[in-house]
Amino acid sequence: MNPIADIATGARNGLLEIWANKVRSLLSMSGIVLGVAALVAMVGIVQGMLQNMRASFERSGGILKIEVQEAEAPESQQHIASISPGLTWRDILAIERATPLAEYITPIVDMRWERFVANGRREGGLLHGVTPDFISIQNRELSHGRFISETDIIQKSPVIVLGDHVKSDIFRDFDTAVGQQVRVKGDVYTVVGQLAPVDNSGLTGGRRYNWESRLNFMPATTAMSRYKGSDEVDKIEILAANIQELPDLIAQVENTLTQTHRSIRDFEIVTQEEQLAEMKKLENSFVYSLGGIAGISLLVGGIGIMNVMLASVSERIREIGVRKAIGARSHDVFIQFLAEAVVISILGGLLGLAASVGLLAFAREFIPEGSGINVMPLVAMFYGFLFSSGIGLLSGIYPALRASRLDPIDALRYE
Amino acid sequence: MNDSESIFKLKGIRRTYVVGDEEVHALDGIDLRIDTSEFIAVIGTSGSGKSTLMHVLGFMDTPTSGEMHFEREDVSSIDGGRRARLRSSRIGFVFQAFNLLPRLTVAANVQLPLTYNRDKVDDSRGLAMTALKRVGMEHRANHTPNQLSGGERQRVAIARALINKPRLILADEPTGNLDTKNRGLIMELFASLLDEGITLALVTHDDEVAQFAQRRIRMQDGLIVEDSAS
Repeated sequence: MNPIADIATGARNGLLEIWANKVRSLLSMSGIVLGVAALVAMVGIVQGMLQNMRASFERSGGILKIEVQEAEAPESQQHIASISPGLTWRDILAIERATPLAEYITPIVDMRWERFVANGRREGGLLHGVTPDFISIQNRELSHGRFISETDIIQKSPVIVLGDHVKSDIFRDFDTAVGQQVRVKGDVYTVVGQLAPVDNSGLTGGRRYNWESRLNFMPATTAMSRYKGSDEVDKIEILAANIQELPDLIAQVENTLTQTHRSIRDFEIVTQEEQLAEMKKLENSFVYSLGGIAGISLLVGGIGIMNVMLASVSERIREIGVRKAIGARSHDVFIQFLAEAVVISILGGLLGLAASVGLLAFAREFIPEGSGINVMPLVAMFYGFLFSSGIGLLSGIYPALRASRLDPIDALRYE
Repeated sequence: MNDSESIFKLKGIRRTYVVGDEEVHALDGIDLRIDTSEFIAVIGTSGSGKSTLMHVLGFMDTPTSGEMHFEREDVSSIDGGRRARLRSSRIGFVFQAFNLLPRLTVAANVQLPLTYNRDKVDDSRGLAMTALKRVGMEHRANHTPNQLSGGERQRVAIARALINKPRLILADEPTGNLDTKNRGLIMELFASLLDEGITLALVTHDDEVAQFAQRRIRMQDGLIVEDSAS
């Protein structure tokens, strides 16, 4: 007999034996079933959520984005800090002029939460004053109309671009809000554009609260003159053309701002590398903790299989004696019992994979931000299956060795 | 009788077990020659060494010392793999307790030795049916052993022993669990195998059963004390 035929025969005997002891086999499989299902489902869920987070990160400019924020001036400059004008519209103009490496640049004039009123309806939302570059930095898409234009900036036009949340509440009876008027803090603005809905933000809340869809925009100049009454901005977002130019861009921005701020270091430049590193860390901690849990449950499954196989060997000592008497070598008996363990764990693994698809479909429906979950994470499934088979193989070795080492004469005498 | 007709030649075979500090000589220097188509009954009280002799002849046990030839091959000190191969291709076993596997059908039980036969077999089901026909059990092929009577089970066990066309069938108290009628049927079946060139050796403590054999060997304390052939 060749080894492949040995294994095929062993697997067939294993299946017969499993079929003959259905309940026992099912019980011994359950550990592996749960282990594989848990492993694959958890990996799938975590992957889905990380996927959402990564997508959200990419949407908001990704690694190429740098942010300029106000900061406390250092101790040594505290006494002269007031000579700096702070973060203002002039900084934007200066960076645009002096920093050719800045691909896109926008201020954020943050007006925080505002109430939007139209059609006798009112709805709360976040309001930001920005420039046309904003939509390129944040990778947002319009469903209708246009975004804020250069002309709007120059003319401080009373226009507004609505996010999905406010639009679908106040203008729920309209196909589009473009052309409509909306009142914010007493002033009337014309809706010129409407942003496409964002599926997942991944960072906060469920589908019911998606902060990206709650954002609404007006020209930064309009916001400053009508709303704030000063040329201060809260934040500047700049996008580099490519990753190689990022360090130079940071240096250029720093030089420009040092001039406009009269050498006062009352700003900081934040890159996304930190956020990316945090995300990587989070990803790793998920992988290790999940890997640990899945490893333990598979180990428990393996112990279950070993236990059942040992019981099966003691129960079938006489059978082993008969098989040896009619010509089975120790090797044949070893393969038979090993194959049985592997068949149990493979069946368990397959059942676990089926269960994981169900679990993931369930999670996709009910977990907030779950729509990014892949119901069939093939790589995780492949590894889950591989591990379960490996565990079956390992836990089958000892019982199979015990069976194969039985002396046929003693085994036949066994009552 | 010349050499070519002998199937087994044993010279000074000893089998010693160590139990605690004591040595037990289960076989204490056996000289024996078995010829093709002989029907031998090995009789003796329990502890006489008859079962050990069967195990040695069936390649289940190796002698501690002595010379042993099987079909002119020196088999005094062959390894486990070779012994397993000889068991599967040359020897058929029949046990007192039948030892059929309860989960397998009659046909599957009979086919079992083919699984371990290193020579490829094309139609194992056909061979099993032929063997079952030989013992008159073909109509029970798809039953399981627990649906059969004791006599029927032993006939199936004999079919299993026959399937690899063995040179020697070893039977250990094959009628021990049977009633008188079935005992007679089984012994007649055994006797009919001799015409097919099969050699038969059976262990029994039943003198009546031993009467079916042409040659009776009586053992005592690990030695042959009586051999009807000599």
